[in-house]
Amino acid sequence: MRVPFSWLRSYVPELESPEVLEERLAGLGFETDRMERIFQIPGGVVFARVLEAHPISSTSLKRLVLDAGKVVEVVSGAGNARAGIGVALALPGTEVRGLAIGERTIQGVVSHGMALSPKELGVGEYGGGLLEFPPDTLPPGTPLAEAWPEEEVLDIEVTPNRPDALGILGLAFDLHALGYSLILPEVRLETEKVPLPFGLRVEDPRGALHFTLSYAFGLQVGPSPLWLQRILFACGMRPISNVVDVTNYVMLERAQPMHAFDLRFVGEGILVRRAKPGEKLVTLDGVERELHLEDLVIAGYRGEESFPIGLAGVMGGAESEVREDTRAIALEVAQFDPVAIRKTARRHALRTEASYRFERGVDPLGQVPAAQRALSLLQTLAGARVAETILEEGTPQAQRPIPFRPAYANQLLGTQYPEEVQLAILRRLGCRVEGEGPYRVTPPSRRLDLELEEDLVEEIARIQGYESIPLDLPAFFPAPDNRGVERPYQRERRLRELLSGLGFQEVYTYSFMDPEEASLFRLPPSPWRLKNPLSPEKAALRTHLFPGLLRLLKENLALDRPERALLFEVGRVFGKEGAWVREETHLAGLLFGEGLGLPHGEKLSGYPLLKGLLEAFLNRLGLDLRVEAHPYPFLHPGVSGKVRVAGEEKGFLGQVHPEILKALELPPVYIFELHLPLPEKPFRFQDPSRYPLALRDLAVVVPEATPYGEVEALLRQAAGPYLESLRLFDLYQGPPLRVGEKSLAFHLRFRHPERTLKDEEVEEAMARLLTALRSRGWDIRG
Amino acid sequence: MRELEQEALAAIREARDLEALKTLKARYLGKKGLLTQEMKALANLPLEERKAKGQALNALKEAIERALEEREKALVEEELRRALERERQDVSLPGVEVFTGGLHPITLMERELVEIFRSLGYQAVEGPEVESEFFNFDALNIPEHHPARDMWDTFWLEGEEHSLPGPLGEEVRGRLLLRTHTSPMQVRYMVAHTPPFRIVVPGRVFRFEQTDATHEAVFHQLEGLVVGEGITMAHLKGAIYELAQALYGPESRVRFQPVYFPFVEPGAQFAIWWPEGRKWLELGGAGMVHPKVFQAVDAYRQTLGLPPAYQGITGFAFGLGVERLAMLRYGIPDIRYFFGGRLKFLEQFRGIL
Repeated sequence: MRVPFSWLRSYVPELESPEVLEERLAGLGFETDRMERIFQIPGGVVFARVLEAHPISSTSLKRLVLDAGKVVEVVSGAGNARAGIGVALALPGTEVRGLAIGERTIQGVVSHGMALSPKELGVGEYGGGLLEFPPDTLPPGTPLAEAWPEEEVLDIEVTPNRPDALGILGLAFDLHALGYSLILPEVRLETEKVPLPFGLRVEDPRGALHFTLSYAFGLQVGPSPLWLQRILFACGMRPISNVVDVTNYVMLERAQPMHAFDLRFVGEGILVRRAKPGEKLVTLDGVERELHLEDLVIAGYRGEESFPIGLAGVMGGAESEVREDTRAIALEVAQFDPVAIRKTARRHALRTEASYRFERGVDPLGQVPAAQRALSLLQTLAGARVAETILEEGTPQAQRPIPFRPAYANQLLGTQYPEEVQLAILRRLGCRVEGEGPYRVTPPSRRLDLELEEDLVEEIARIQGYESIPLDLPAFFPAPDNRGVERPYQRERRLRELLSGLGFQEVYTYSFMDPEEASLFRLPPSPWRLKNPLSPEKAALRTHLFPGLLRLLKENLALDRPERALLFEVGRVFGKEGAWVREETHLAGLLFGEGLGLPHGEKLSGYPLLKGLLEAFLNRLGLDLRVEAHPYPFLHPGVSGKVRVAGEEKGFLGQVHPEILKALELPPVYIFELHLPLPEKPFRFQDPSRYPLALRDLAVVVPEATPYGEVEALLRQAAGPYLESLRLFDLYQGPPLRVGEKSLAFHLRFRHPERTLKDEEVEEAMARLLTALRSRGWDIRG
Repeated sequence: MRELEQEALAAIREARDLEALKTLKARYLGKKGLLTQEMKALANLPLEERKAKGQALNALKEAIERALEEREKALVEEELRRALERERQDVSLPGVEVFTGGLHPITLMERELVEIFRSLGYQAVEGPEVESEFFNFDALNIPEHHPARDMWDTFWLEGEEHSLPGPLGEEVRGRLLLRTHTSPMQVRYMVAHTPPFRIVVPGRVFRFEQTDATHEAVFHQLEGLVVGEGITMAHLKGAIYELAQALYGPESRVRFQPVYFPFVEPGAQFAIWWPEGRKWLELGGAGMVHPKVFQAVDAYRQTLGLPPAYQGITGFAFGLGVERLAMLRYGIPDIRYFFGGRLKFLEQFRGIL
């Protein structure tokens, strides 16, 4: 919200400076996003009165004769240029917004300067017409800057809990609580006992909680006085006319939106109801809107007939808007159901100053005072006559008292604020404090956010200043059920550290995936799509990590051409089982390129390297790795393995399918992806045997297609209890072996834990191995 | 004899290797060697002559032996020298290129933060990234249609009704979203545990917003939650003070200002004075756990058949953005680098242990 410093100071006269205000507001919970100095009116801009306006034939231009202390003629194309209004005139030689104003001849008429729009003067956004004042605003020829000083505006953030602070008075009340004195605007209103020319029916009291309708007549609609326009411009609004400006001004002052309907379009009165099927309304912005059955509308009625003239709490209708010839109005000041307004504003994608305030809530007791404030201004500024009666429907709900214990405040804050200090703060905030221990505190009706004792505690702390709360550390033993809860987190972190120690670089990729790309990665489509993705490529949730790693590799290759890469990511992926989300943590690794070796020599790389690294990683966790051939659609059919960790199926390891590599224009890439957590094996120390090793070598001849894993498994199973380790040291094909055979040579180590093994025992084990091999139809090499 | 001596010494001096030396040794000193022959011939000489020649022969033998020994030593040394020379390597040539790994800077920053809080007795726990509307909003006192929901731009999953596991694995039905903050874990943790406790929750969070140098749709937070009897706002300030001290040293300070988050009351935003940069860093939001959050937790516990555990209990919570701190810590100019995946960026953090 934009806060013009001078305006706020008119209610809080002791305010020192915009800088002090910024600090005070920050302490109160209102952060300033931006502070700006506006309204630098150039010295050569003077106030002038339009005496005559003559159309220039065959153009849309007008020749204006102005009284600017002297008579001046200018040419203007503005639609609202007309005799009788006051304008801002830039005399020749003035520079406005970087544009030098001179004497120019336009369509054969000499223009001795330029009448300015708000945009040209640099006070507002509007450039579609002249800035317009009442003719007697200033003596003609007076430099405008004398009546239009500079302004400091603080653009502050008002959190949703403080709708009262969406009016400048709300801030003034808070500053008052800090100790500043407060001057409230005086409302002097002369009313007349006249019959009201309209009725009021509220058909939906749940939508319109409190609805008031006042009658003002005898209006002279015209431009607002300069001071009022200046405030509206400073607040970022466009002055329209005195009547509309007053409603906006009071809204900015009291956070209470209101709307004036031209009485000519109201019929016999106003009916507040939900919209009917097929109903339409052209709103003030000129858009025809189809109304939804849940939309709350303000309708005019004639007998049983009714017709919408406004979208309640959001925007008025175009037809019933106040115009220059409006003489009488029905002024609506209401409190609507915040949820209803929010829904309507969302449905019509129409967020207005009014809807913004109504959906946050307005002071339930604020309608009549706001109406009176507006009517008194209309009396002064537009010569309005005002009816004494204000029609009212609904019973405003004021807050209930809140029990409050000063001791609890200190207990929650860790402070020792004296009781009297606390009660004084509440009173200065406008609360009524009654009773004793616990006190009964009734907040002012504008403070919708104060409902609980804790809310009052925050008020105490806010006004005392959070800096007055001391620093402390709590000491306690956690309840037993909290013990050890961090183990999963710590374990996962350890995995990352182990992998990075083994040479893997950690990367993060987005949790999204491109639904169109599932087939590229030979994956089923993601079961989870976003309702509102940022972009089509980020429209689904990832089901695997490896596509992200491949994409990342591709981008790096394009930019930096690395010769190799060893990457990992730990992250969440999202599957589906029935209606359930299955969120899992995956660990994926990727190897590409040259592998291990000398830069100028041979390299070890590819599948065996990645498998070796994965195995080292698992071994470091006390786990073993088994990989068995298994076809995965996204892996090379010949280099595709299922990973078992400590016997549990945990994922896959292999070479990325050539079709994927082709589509991404990538060289061969090797990947693994496991789901976490990995199994945890209970650890027990085993005293290593000190008895001598018995070493044997064994070369097994098997058909070429026999997986190594089968041979190893058989040997381990048949070797008996004393086999300490087994290690492949040669893999051979060729003569003297027959074609289609291969030989696997192993070093075997036997050892007994408690004594020296006898030769016969080792030979027996070797014999068992031979029998087992032969029973499978395999043999050994002599 | 003089000739013999000259010939022998010269030959020994010129012997090319140990083999040649062995031959020479045999030639002069062997059983049939020249000198040995001469020695044997002494017996036939008259005593006087024998004595004189014997002495001369002994001197010659000693000279030859000495020469042999010296030459042998020289040859052995030479051989070793040659062998070592043959094994010479260019030690400046590159070694085997083992891979050098590293952790992502967000992992590093998160680890630093978690370690700070672990030293204060907090434990780190994690929650799901796909969350139900209930845990992300409703239970945190952010009801539907409340303007406060606008504070979190949310990614919603398609479909109106899905299931996901609750705090104890039970089925939770409802609309699903990508969690907009780590705060739903406050509710999940409290449902499943009893106070007092201290936890931190690091994790990935999501906001539906366009990215630029300072905004990411996916980023990381660290949530803290301390709940127990007699927990105060002073304890909250103390925790953030300890964080400031651990991050930026003894000159650092903390600043708290009121702000609104629906799930805390009183609510605060906190800033830490960064001595090096000489400015306040707005790091996050905090406050005392809102009574309505405790009520929501106990109500939920009741549906699971658990007794209420949060009556008469207070607690504080805080949350801060990890990226922001990492950017300051490492001088990273653009938040998009973290998910940019450029290895030339990531590899620079290897020096951080």
